[in-house]
Amino acid sequence: MTAHVLPPAPAVQRPRVLVVGAAFAAAASFMVFIGLIGIYLAERVDVVGSGTEWLPKGATIPLQQPNTMFITLIMSVFTMQWAVAAIAKNDRVNSYLAMGLTLMLGIATIVMTTYLWYLMELDIASGIQGVLIYTITGAHIVMLVLAMIFVALMGLRALGGQFTARQHDGITAAAVFWYAMVAVYALIWISIYVTK
Amino acid sequence: MALTDTRPETGTDASAVAPSVVPSPLTIFGTGDHKAVGTFYVLAALVFGIAGWVAAALSLGHEVGSNSFLSGSTAMQLGQTSDLGLILLVIVPLFLGLGTYIVPLQVGASTVAFPRAAAAAMWTWLLSSGIFIVASFIDGGFGGSREKSVSLTLMALGGLIVALLLGTVCVLTTAVTLRTPGMTLDRVPMFTFSMLVGGAIWLLTLPVLLANLLLIWVDHRYNGGTTFGAAATQFEQVSWITHEPQIYAFLIPGLGIVADVIATLTGARLGQRNILLFAIGAFGVLSVGAWAQPAVYPTFSDDLVWQAMGLLMPLPVLLFFGGVAKAFKDGKPSLKSPLGLAVVSLLLTLLAVFAGALLVITPLELRTSNVFATGQFVLAIAAALAAAAAGIGYWGPKMTGGQSADGLGKLNVLVLFGGGALGGLSLCVVGFSNRFTGLDGAHDALVIVSSIGCALLALGGALALLGLLSGARKGAPEAAADAWGTGQTLEWACPSPPATGNFGDLAIVRSPEPLLDEEV
Repeated sequence: MTAHVLPPAPAVQRPRVLVVGAAFAAAASFMVFIGLIGIYLAERVDVVGSGTEWLPKGATIPLQQPNTMFITLIMSVFTMQWAVAAIAKNDRVNSYLAMGLTLMLGIATIVMTTYLWYLMELDIASGIQGVLIYTITGAHIVMLVLAMIFVALMGLRALGGQFTARQHDGITAAAVFWYAMVAVYALIWISIYVTK
Repeated sequence: MALTDTRPETGTDASAVAPSVVPSPLTIFGTGDHKAVGTFYVLAALVFGIAGWVAAALSLGHEVGSNSFLSGSTAMQLGQTSDLGLILLVIVPLFLGLGTYIVPLQVGASTVAFPRAAAAAMWTWLLSSGIFIVASFIDGGFGGSREKSVSLTLMALGGLIVALLLGTVCVLTTAVTLRTPGMTLDRVPMFTFSMLVGGAIWLLTLPVLLANLLLIWVDHRYNGGTTFGAAATQFEQVSWITHEPQIYAFLIPGLGIVADVIATLTGARLGQRNILLFAIGAFGVLSVGAWAQPAVYPTFSDDLVWQAMGLLMPLPVLLFFGGVAKAFKDGKPSLKSPLGLAVVSLLLTLLAVFAGALLVITPLELRTSNVFATGQFVLAIAAALAAAAAGIGYWGPKMTGGQSADGLGKLNVLVLFGGGALGGLSLCVVGFSNRFTGLDGAHDALVIVSSIGCALLALGGALALLGLLSGARKGAPEAAADAWGTGQTLEWACPSPPATGNFGDLAIVRSPEPLLDEEV
């Protein structure tokens, strides 16, 4: 009779250091935008309260591009979660594909934002509005680029064979940061583009 | 190796003895050892602290008499730079340095989380601080007339806030994820818990300061400084971090230090532990002040929430005071300098929160000028400095491996109490001059007293630095692993200074005072 030897019990796993660290970093990044948007809303209430239009003459904020960006970023949430789910099943090909798609959707958002800046015809030196809108949307693009670098770095580490079904904290951490950036865009969408 | 990886040498066996060779410059600049990083933070912050209090004394002295030795613009920039500097270059990095060094030891970890990120944060902070100081001195402070210098100041401030946030993330992640088995969150030492609360509040509020700076910089750089970047309003937009209630956020880790010092040096377990944890948590919640920005919300001082926060703030401090006072009754206090400094910190904290409670009472009209609030600021920062000095004296033997000169610490008890009380209370008295006309004549004398108090606080920083260095001098008595003989928490279970990897095998923690349990 053949004895079946079970593999040794796995070592006690440390809690997910990288995921927790990324969550803290995402919370801090989120608060930057809470601060910026809070100031934006307070200034807008002041200007509108004084009986003048918020946007300077000639400037306009179309809604089609912001909506497209929002849909794009929501899709990126699904592709990012797809990457996490795939690596959790050791399905590396699907994980690479999903991270690649996420990066493409990120690039599409950046392109759309720059197109929107062109369409708005809002000069940064036009006053408080220009400074606020360009600072907030520009800072979001910077954070989005950082999130894309994080995803790309984790993708490269996955290509190097560093992540497995049991240990894929890097990709989960990148996903946490990515979701935070999408949540920030949701705030920007509602407070700058929709309720203008 | 990625930034997020753990350096291999920090995870090795702790049984090795710490090397006694002099480290090369490459080792110093490239190390990810949390002990070295924490020590650098503390040393640099103490040096900045001496300069910061001297600057505060000079800017106060400028207000005396009619023949000022500083121009109005220079004095204003010096005062504003010292206010921000005392928080971002001194108090936060002092606590962060102690946190980077001590929190991994207290939770039984072999390293800080993300050691290379922690090192990168420290060097970025140090570099940004240097640029901030230089830029401020070439007419680049808030409201300065040299545009490029002002841009440099803003960018340096942004850099050092990002660095402090990154360092905070490392310490928080250590406390959350790297605790040794059995150490649940309610069993973590008081300093670690206070770093968790304080760090969380910093993570929620310092990014808002970064947002303010970003707007000022964009407007200054691209819009000619006509709105957010206007010289007259720049400091007003960031001044909220120096005011109630946000100023208390920088005292939170001090409460944890006070509790740990009192527990060890009275030799008693902290009986009312849950009450102390609640008090620190409540103190943290009541210190969130990023919303009370005078530039954005000019009427915030009429807001009931702001007034309630100020009036309620003494309650958690009194609760905390009651909790730690019981340890004096239950134990046998050892009259060492860290205990004296902890008591001084607690007394100054009480004075600061009671001053804050008076500040929010509208009929007293203490907000008509900035003087009373400045007095409260001095009290709060002095309380934080005394707590940090207590922590440096208490953990100094662990950090240097030698017993520091307790006489310097005892002298510092008097210096910091005198400095804090004179520096803060005299300005608080001046703040009442709108109600008591007789005080007008004493204005200059009281401001001089306050200026002397600030100079004493600079001396206090110097004494804390000398005390730490005295433990590292040749011939200093060697410190045992449990330097005080009554240590309760895990940092006293590893050698002084800790070897690479900090610990060998640790038993499962079964109480908040594992060294008092038999199993360890």
